[in-house]
Amino acid sequence: MNILLAAILKVIGVLMFVGLNAYILIWGERKVSGHIQRRIGPIRVGGPSGIMQSAADILKLMSKEDFVPSGADWWLWVLAPVVSVAPAVLVYLVLPIGRTLVLRNLNVGLVFFSSVSSFTLLGIFMAGWGSNNKYSLLGAMRAGAQLFSYEIPLILSTIGVVMLAGSLTLQRIVAAQTHYGWFIFPQIVGFIVFFVASVAELNRTPFDLAEAESELVAGYFTEYSGMRWAMFAIAEYSNLFTLSALGVTLFLGGWHGPLLPGWVWFVLKSYFLVFVGIWIRWTLPRVRIDQLMDLGWKFLFPVSVLNLLGTGLYLMVR
Amino acid sequence: MTSTLVIFIVLSLLTLYAAYRVATAHLITHAALFLAGTFAGVAALFFMLQADFLAAVQLLLYAGAVMAVVVFAIMLSQMREAGDHVPRWVDALRSPFFGFLPLISSVALFVILLISYLDTPWPSSATAAAVNSTRYVAVPLFQSYALPFEVASVLLLAALIGAIVLTRREDDR
Repeated sequence: MNILLAAILKVIGVLMFVGLNAYILIWGERKVSGHIQRRIGPIRVGGPSGIMQSAADILKLMSKEDFVPSGADWWLWVLAPVVSVAPAVLVYLVLPIGRTLVLRNLNVGLVFFSSVSSFTLLGIFMAGWGSNNKYSLLGAMRAGAQLFSYEIPLILSTIGVVMLAGSLTLQRIVAAQTHYGWFIFPQIVGFIVFFVASVAELNRTPFDLAEAESELVAGYFTEYSGMRWAMFAIAEYSNLFTLSALGVTLFLGGWHGPLLPGWVWFVLKSYFLVFVGIWIRWTLPRVRIDQLMDLGWKFLFPVSVLNLLGTGLYLMVR
Repeated sequence: MTSTLVIFIVLSLLTLYAAYRVATAHLITHAALFLAGTFAGVAALFFMLQADFLAAVQLLLYAGAVMAVVVFAIMLSQMREAGDHVPRWVDALRSPFFGFLPLISSVALFVILLISYLDTPWPSSATAAAVNSTRYVAVPLFQSYALPFEVASVLLLAALIGAIVLTRREDDR
């Protein structure tokens, strides 16, 4: 029973963090966007520094009518938010938060992370198909093309790190960075590809074609409202944090850092990458779909393969 | 009954149900999504067998592949046709592409699987669990079976080029 109790406590801890993280990031996104684009509202409204605005939002979302569009594919429509949230929560299983602090030190941590997060696409597609709405389906098809194309450079760019570290275990990859220094220096090309591809994987501007407000209303979650919509938002912000945390683990030394305990460094670095993501979102305009595909297949993909080749040559010559 | 057994039974039932619905779902989209469910169930069973690398790769490749299948299904098929028309099973059995050809091939596949299943010596205890299952997959794949691996990848490349040639528009040249 002790194992079961520990498992339940871990799950509760992760769920609490997911909720808290969404709260903080929605507040953070409003503040950063407010300061970058001089939007007066988010800077001034809602309690001290606007921190209470999200609480009001939660109350509003919870009190909204539970509305199912007519002609919706009921099962797919209802399950879609759940299918989106589940992988977002599952990936916390392998994140190396501190030197000894990891929920489950899986042998294939990195592959587990990529494989579980690829299920996000299924949730998006189920939402787009189930809504019985042309904008939703268009958004889902776009998301399908986009996530499918950018997953390949995303995974290829991490393999250079795996080759240097000689392990797929995230804890060992972090430990290997005492020997090499942070992998961002030997793997700078890999880091750039990883970062661009992860912004695209997260469906955030400049790559937010799946939910482009000015073209598709809101893309695949056009028909969702209330808590069902909130689940998509929670999954999105959780993915933003976990993908940044993966970037920190692979390229920015994970929990390594002076003075402060390891998990503090891990959280600080992760939120720094999250901040850069938000910064990019409110600075750059959206790209066109053909530019998106060109960037993915004609630039990121060959560059990541060349990076792989270079890393392999270095390992052979060394 | 141990908790492992309970989890195993629940997972197998879910996987089998999803596999059954792949064949019987009326909409091709539903069939593809049930296929994703089947793959996820098989991956979970791999995890229970401590073949974690296989499980992760199963999820990674097949979840993505299923999405590609769904996209093609939407673009290439006419949804209205697939909906309501369900033939009687005697009529279905007479027509080659809906009836006896799939039946024969699936029975043949089942027999082959059964024979190979009975021929394989299974480890009798859980002590042989792989410490690093990635290595156990990688070494045979890239050393003893390197040539078949390369041949398979060349075949896939040929299929890829063929698909591009077939779908390219005439006025693009």
